[in-house]
Amino acid sequence: MRTVLIVDDAEINRELLKDIFEGQYHVLEAEDGEVAIEILEQRSGVISAVFLDLIMPRKNGLDVLAYMREQGLITYIPVIMITGEATTESDLKAYEFGAADIIYKPFEPRIVMRRAMNIMELYQQRLSIEVALAERTEQLRESQEKLVKNNEFLINALGSVVEFRSAESGEHVQRVSEITKVILTHCSYLYPEYRLTEEQIRMISQAAALHDVGKIAIPDAILNKPAKLTVEEFEEMKKHSVYGCEILEKFKQEDNDFYRYCYEICRWHHEKYDGHGYPDGLKGDAIPIWAQAVSVADCFDALVSKRVYKSPYAAETAYDMIVRGECGAFSEKMLNCFARAKEELFTMVETKFEF
Amino acid sequence: MTLQELYEAIGGDYSEVLGRMLKEERVTKFVGMFLRDPSFGQLEEAMEKGDYEEAFKAAHTLKGVCGNLSLSRLAGVDIEVTEALRGGADIEKAKALMPDLKGCYQDTVAQIQAYMDGQA
Repeated sequence: MRTVLIVDDAEINRELLKDIFEGQYHVLEAEDGEVAIEILEQRSGVISAVFLDLIMPRKNGLDVLAYMREQGLITYIPVIMITGEATTESDLKAYEFGAADIIYKPFEPRIVMRRAMNIMELYQQRLSIEVALAERTEQLRESQEKLVKNNEFLINALGSVVEFRSAESGEHVQRVSEITKVILTHCSYLYPEYRLTEEQIRMISQAAALHDVGKIAIPDAILNKPAKLTVEEFEEMKKHSVYGCEILEKFKQEDNDFYRYCYEICRWHHEKYDGHGYPDGLKGDAIPIWAQAVSVADCFDALVSKRVYKSPYAAETAYDMIVRGECGAFSEKMLNCFARAKEELFTMVETKFEF
Repeated sequence: MTLQELYEAIGGDYSEVLGRMLKEERVTKFVGMFLRDPSFGQLEEAMEKGDYEEAFKAAHTLKGVCGNLSLSRLAGVDIEVTEALRGGADIEKAKALMPDLKGCYQDTVAQIQAYMDGQA
């Protein structure tokens, strides 16, 4: 049974209201504002509506409204003012304080009942809508999180397919992804002009996992050759950037940033700032910042990793080689970002990664 | 004495109160409760103490009760007292009205008492 609280200093008035609600509601009574606040303090959770007199000894009706507002109760418990005052000023004040409705004395019990029921229903409905909305929002957030996770899993799986075929250790793809993230995070602080957001960096570092996906089309004999490649073999190897794009193009998505990052990273992660890279010989800032970042990350990881054709370099050495331009030209800005990321990358090489 | 006769004797509006409360027994129950309503006593006490704010509240409460019971004559005098006391508007007038209100109140209570005694 629902509970209503009746607050009025005159017993007769309380009894008149009680008479209306008894049988259908559990009725609590208070003879002034102070007692009403005490009851609300203890039992606000079970009260469906408050009938409140305005002028009472000790604490008055407005004091009770103020208390309920302070405690945030006014949003959930409808307050129906029962007043002998019929002035616009006091009515406005009561509404301003959060009253749901005003009923004048002498009141007509059947009308009071109707209005009270309507108001309780309204508040109840609003409350259940709010609860339903909160639940739905939570569900959406959860499924969103799941999607992101699944996405990440699939991308990493796809990106690692090539590694499965090669004799190299399997974590290159994930390491390049992590290194890209570190470099671009520094880039976002150092060069705000690139307008890199956290979300963008997250997407780019995910897309980075697919940078070598085109190697799936490179024959084993070249991919796993434990010696230096011939000129012809190297020409074939270089095509992996284009093959990667061919794979992606089959699933082309217009107006999709993530697709764009994947595509441009696949295609241009071997371009060089001076135009001496491949496949398109792009020069300078024609190479997107994400492709530049993956390019550095890829070089660094290749240097510090053990490969069939070489033993790993120390992190310091690898860093110096890249800065000196031994792995091709990078932009000054990219090298500055790399320098800022240096300590973090060294720690990663030492602790996080198994090379 | 019937309930309707009581209302006529004390200057109340019988058809109005019955219209709201629907049943005679209910009117009898609530009009009987008026005998122990303390607001007139509180009004008198506050007036004697010179606490006009408390007096206003008591007069106001009495007004609401009289309204709900349709005790029109008593309500009429009490409204004048209430308004004279509102914000300390006209204390002297309120004081001057008190004997009138007291007479009316005592008469009302006596008649209700007699009616209730007849019921028992």
